[in-house]
Amino acid sequence: MFEADILQTFYFTLFQAALSTFLSLLLGIVIAWSLVHQRNFWASRVSRVVLSVSIVLPVIIVAFGLIGIYGRNGWLNQAAEYLFGFSFGAFLYGLFGILLAHVYLNASYAAVTLTGAFEMIPLEQYKLSKSLGFGPWKRFWYVEYPAVKSTLYRSASTIFLLCFTSFGVVLLLGGQPRYNTLQVAIYEALRIDFDIPKTLHLALLQLTVSSLLVVAASLVTGKTGNLKQASVPIPWRESGGSAFFQKNMIFLFLIFFLLPLIEIAYEALGHDLFSVMNEPLFQKALLTSLLIATISSILSIAVSLGIASLQLKFLNRQTRVAKVLYSATAVLSNIYLAVPSLVMGFGFFLYIQAYDLDMDRWGFIAVVLSNILLSLPFATSSISPKMEQVSNRYRKLTASLGMGAAKRFFIVYLPYLLPSIGFVWALSFCFSLGDLGIIALFGSDELVTLPWYLYELMGSYRTHQAASVALILLVLVIAIFIVIPKMVGKLHAENR
Amino acid sequence: MLKIDNVTYTYPQSTVTYRYDLEVNPKEVIAVLGASGSGKSTLLDIMAGFLIPKEGKMMLDGVDFTSLPTAKRPLSILFQKHNLFEHLSVIKNLLLGMSSPDLSKAESILKEVGLEGYGNKMANALSGGQQQRVALARVLLRDKPVLLLDEPFNGLDSDTRKEMLALVKTMTVQNSLHTVMVTHDMSDVEAIASRAYKMRDNRLEVL
Repeated sequence: MFEADILQTFYFTLFQAALSTFLSLLLGIVIAWSLVHQRNFWASRVSRVVLSVSIVLPVIIVAFGLIGIYGRNGWLNQAAEYLFGFSFGAFLYGLFGILLAHVYLNASYAAVTLTGAFEMIPLEQYKLSKSLGFGPWKRFWYVEYPAVKSTLYRSASTIFLLCFTSFGVVLLLGGQPRYNTLQVAIYEALRIDFDIPKTLHLALLQLTVSSLLVVAASLVTGKTGNLKQASVPIPWRESGGSAFFQKNMIFLFLIFFLLPLIEIAYEALGHDLFSVMNEPLFQKALLTSLLIATISSILSIAVSLGIASLQLKFLNRQTRVAKVLYSATAVLSNIYLAVPSLVMGFGFFLYIQAYDLDMDRWGFIAVVLSNILLSLPFATSSISPKMEQVSNRYRKLTASLGMGAAKRFFIVYLPYLLPSIGFVWALSFCFSLGDLGIIALFGSDELVTLPWYLYELMGSYRTHQAASVALILLVLVIAIFIVIPKMVGKLHAENR
Repeated sequence: MLKIDNVTYTYPQSTVTYRYDLEVNPKEVIAVLGASGSGKSTLLDIMAGFLIPKEGKMMLDGVDFTSLPTAKRPLSILFQKHNLFEHLSVIKNLLLGMSSPDLSKAESILKEVGLEGYGNKMANALSGGQQQRVALARVLLRDKPVLLLDEPFNGLDSDTRKEMLALVKTMTVQNSLHTVMVTHDMSDVEAIASRAYKMRDNRLEVL
């Protein structure tokens, strides 16, 4: 049914996703474990701050930073040349680069979620293991692993799906066609070869497998074990070999994480950072990115509120149909993983061709829609549980007072939902600003976003200008991720 | 005799210093009362080695154990909850507390605490009272002369609570234990304690 090269791409997509997931989880769990046991170590405090913004780091910035460190002319090769007179060459491009970038992006995510799970372990269990004389390994096996394993499985399924549908990383660091994933193969078949039948085959395969994986992932829920409430910190200091190991791991991770970002700043600040701002194409890209991010983040909030309301409605009805509809809305919020950006983009492309529509205008709509779907899994998982809590507390009261839907939302729900809405707004805005997905199909001189502009600069080896754009994008993303929730938090405080 | 001699502790970033002086004879249960946050559980954390005191000595029969690591101290501790590893069976929980696992001994101790035949049940399938019995069985198995109880029977119904208190008293007498029980319930004190102390102004006072 499928040609040999398509199957080869499929197998490689599965292989790199599995290996990336394993390595990301391995590093993620070691970092989370170390952070929990070395809470007062200075590098732990810095790591926790760094990890909190890692979720919004654009893929293209990570790839650009990694090239600056491990690329042919990167710091590593320059240091090797200077010290030992030889170069490691272009070892970054290929499977190694893909794994490195995936681990960079996903080990951080795993570390954040697993740190939360470790911190929920009751302090009594730590005291008990200490009084029974458990060493670090025995404690991990009997106390910590059983408590974090459900989070570990959930993180594994999410990371696997993200790596399976990975596009930007593979496009930038894959190097050769044999390291293509399905997403990149779709991009090349459509944008470079303009081979519609092949694109269709690839898209069908991607769609089928992704959908199956999303359904399978939805089954990975697991029990929460003895995770009951946030525990107080472990009051004693880890000592001996395990403390030495933990501190070194945190320190090395911090270097691994920060070096690419430092390299971008060094590269950008070492040259004329502001000259790029006078470029008309940069200004256009910035404005387009901000416009897309504003529209898609506001729509993401609206859509996730809608999905959360529907879920609540179905949750409160105990019928079998309601249960099915509840599950359907849960799948709806994860639809981006089942229908990845390039597959959706291909659908849009066919639609535009069939009806002879304006490519730039519809490309813009496709990018906005793709960004909304990209944010939805995170948006609904933040808003839905909060809405459920408020409903449990006030459902009977609002019903007895005869409050209508609008009144109920604005007076009862909204004040409680504001912090979550602020987080979703910031997250969605940053995801949109940094996304290099569907824009790769529709990007042109007319429709240009910051990531697409950065990609073009990298492709034409204008490294200094690319570094300037990367730094501006990085600062913008981090600032917005910090400022918006604070702004909404202030509004929330004033309303109370 | 268990002796806590002028032991002090100050939490990081706090100006409050807790001071403890206490004596417990073998076969004796003493109670430590106090409001929440008064420092009564801090005493148990210091005795168990979870917190390191600023000064003072802790001795059992004249032997100083102040600087010993937790697992080497001559004591067992029982918390209000999470005393068992819920994903393991009862017998596995008991064997984990022994330096050289002895199945027949573990089974005979289970019988002693009224849980004969419960060995293969998962810990999370037991009621709160049964879980505390298993934890007490582990205390007996570990054969340590000091027993620390950190409000271990809170949340149990009154009949089970009475049964558990009686079991602690019996265990203390039969095994010559030195038992220190932290509680905020005067009825616990009246039920089994021979003496009581109260935390007042950050130090222990005889009640």
